[in-house]
Amino acid sequence: MERYQSLEKIGEGTYATVFKGKNRSNGDAVALKEIRLDSEEGAPSTAIREISLMKELRHPNIVRLHDVIHTENKLTLVFEYMDQDLKKYMDQHGNRGALGPIVIKAFMYQLLKGVAFCHDNRVLHRDLKPQNLLINRKGELKLGDFGLARAFGIPVNTFSNEVVTLWYRAPDVLLGSKTYSTSIDIWSAGCIMAEMYLGKPLFAGSNNQDELLKIFKVMGTPTEETWPGVTKLSEYRKDFPYYPPKPLSTVVPMIDTFGMDLLMQMLIYQPQRRITAKDALNHVYFNDIRGYANLQQQQQQQAAAAAAVQMGGNGGVPNGQMMGQPSQQQQAVPLSSNPPPQQIVYQQQQAQQQPPLPYQVVQMQQQQIMQQQQQQQPQQHQMPPQPYSQQQPMHQQY
Amino acid sequence: MSQVKLSLQNALLTLEQLQQTPSREDGITEEQEDHLRQLGCHLIQHAGILLKLPQVAMATGQILFQRFFYQASLRKFAVRDISMGSVFLAAKVEECPIRMVDLANVFDHLMKKFHRLPLDPMPAFQQAFYTLKDATIVAEMQILKKLSFNVHVQTPYATMINYLKVLELIDHPVIPQLAWSYLNDGLRTSVYICYQPPTIACSVIWLAARKENVALPTTPAWWEVLDARLEDIENIAGHIASLYHRPLPISSLPLTIEQVEPYLRGEFNSNVINGSTAISTASSSKGTRVSRFS
Repeated sequence: MERYQSLEKIGEGTYATVFKGKNRSNGDAVALKEIRLDSEEGAPSTAIREISLMKELRHPNIVRLHDVIHTENKLTLVFEYMDQDLKKYMDQHGNRGALGPIVIKAFMYQLLKGVAFCHDNRVLHRDLKPQNLLINRKGELKLGDFGLARAFGIPVNTFSNEVVTLWYRAPDVLLGSKTYSTSIDIWSAGCIMAEMYLGKPLFAGSNNQDELLKIFKVMGTPTEETWPGVTKLSEYRKDFPYYPPKPLSTVVPMIDTFGMDLLMQMLIYQPQRRITAKDALNHVYFNDIRGYANLQQQQQQQAAAAAAVQMGGNGGVPNGQMMGQPSQQQQAVPLSSNPPPQQIVYQQQQAQQQPPLPYQVVQMQQQQIMQQQQQQQPQQHQMPPQPYSQQQPMHQQY
Repeated sequence: MSQVKLSLQNALLTLEQLQQTPSREDGITEEQEDHLRQLGCHLIQHAGILLKLPQVAMATGQILFQRFFYQASLRKFAVRDISMGSVFLAAKVEECPIRMVDLANVFDHLMKKFHRLPLDPMPAFQQAFYTLKDATIVAEMQILKKLSFNVHVQTPYATMINYLKVLELIDHPVIPQLAWSYLNDGLRTSVYICYQPPTIACSVIWLAARKENVALPTTPAWWEVLDARLEDIENIAGHIASLYHRPLPISSLPLTIEQVEPYLRGEFNSNVINGSTAISTASSSKGTRVSRFS
């Protein structure tokens, strides 16, 4: 513990206290998460999960766990220091909590990069929410708090369904599914994306039932037609009130067309049809961040810088080169006053006519993505349910 | 992504690490170490059954126990403490937590049974309980520290079921249960420390099919289709099958740290009989023992 000096307290959770600290050897700022060890229950399982997973996950968009120190009656986790979380960032820098489209895109890209890395390493985060997304002065966004994360194997066993803070919990989990997989994190990411545009949570339910109804009121009450198999889930009720689906563009009107398409694919009812983090990163919405050439790394830094500038409050956003859509920031202002859908279509055309976004390229890529998804969807749909459903009796049997 | 996928892949040991264990350096013979490892796994498996844990949790516990004693000596850490800590930790990792009272009761019962003592129930909230509880908490932290929190374990059970389906053996009257039991018994050997789960899954299917005289496709060889090497399969099968030639003298093995030194001096005798009891796993009790491996 001599290696780190504890400075001021920055937060307190149910099982841990977080301090800002300093590495004595090089002066780097660190976050020290002190976990009290219970003499009755031993090490908290959240701490075990967090340490065992985070020490293996090294990625620019995942908070780095530097060290674990065990003393008499507590464990101290030493994390890289991050200035604040997305929730606080939205409160401080947003327009009534809502962020600008450029910052949102930069954050979503980094969020999905972190999620894709977790999923690629077969780790589910299971608790994505603005409070767990940490942001530093460089405008980098990193996933933190892996206290509920889990490594998943080939069969996704019956997991606990008390995961994910209610507002970001996927409908399949709310309806009692215990065989969820990576799609659970995508739903949360979709809710966070909408929240950044709206400045308030998309589905702020007060309990399980209320959360479901909040979702149904927007997405429509699911039926066997819109979500095959939904009636077999344990929490499904025949007497759910019927709501017709509302176009998402009326609920989150300030998103541009590509963003809306991505959001809609993240908020699909059927878990196996929800877009994957990897596919989401390849979505046209992120074209300008990825760049047409292989300038990915450079562009990412620029995107981060753009967010940083806004964070530092240094005035205007130097968005020209990065976004390729210089007018988008200005468009956002009239958009926030509930435009009808036609207006958005019109603006999409406008956007497509911008010189750096050649019309044909975008359209071609969009078509390609659509085709890929159409090809992938039936496969995804058929493959997982078969092994899963037939495996479970085996576990119970023996 | 260039990073190694450590979070799921089981850490494997080299031959040198396998042969030069901390216990061996501490003057414990190969046979003694093998017996004590088997004893710990036997305890964990039986405790898991009594605690109604899923098999995957028992498997995780046994793998943690095995891994631990590649980092620490059996002279310094008692089989009882580390097996209790392993069950407690595995239950947390596999999200089926258990109560400390139940864990202590089950271990107290099993230890009396192993040493052929009268099976009196453990008095509630007396010293015996607190001793076991404290030992478990300390052991859990020791395991976490020695394994540097590397407690995620991949098990081959689900993979094996998938392979049985691919090979159209899933409805065979004997093979699925037999192969499943070999997986359970194999936890007592070093195979889970030396091979990745899919290879182990292939091996137990191979072993079970041989036992039942069922021919499997050879053109192309089925194990090649499943990315396993015949050499590894045979090696694993050899390790597992050899278990059935090595009876485990359960009642004459030490459970607590006080019993270890007398045992190593050859002076430890559990109270009643010094006889040998062949291992018998509850899950493999349906006549799955192989008498000879050919």
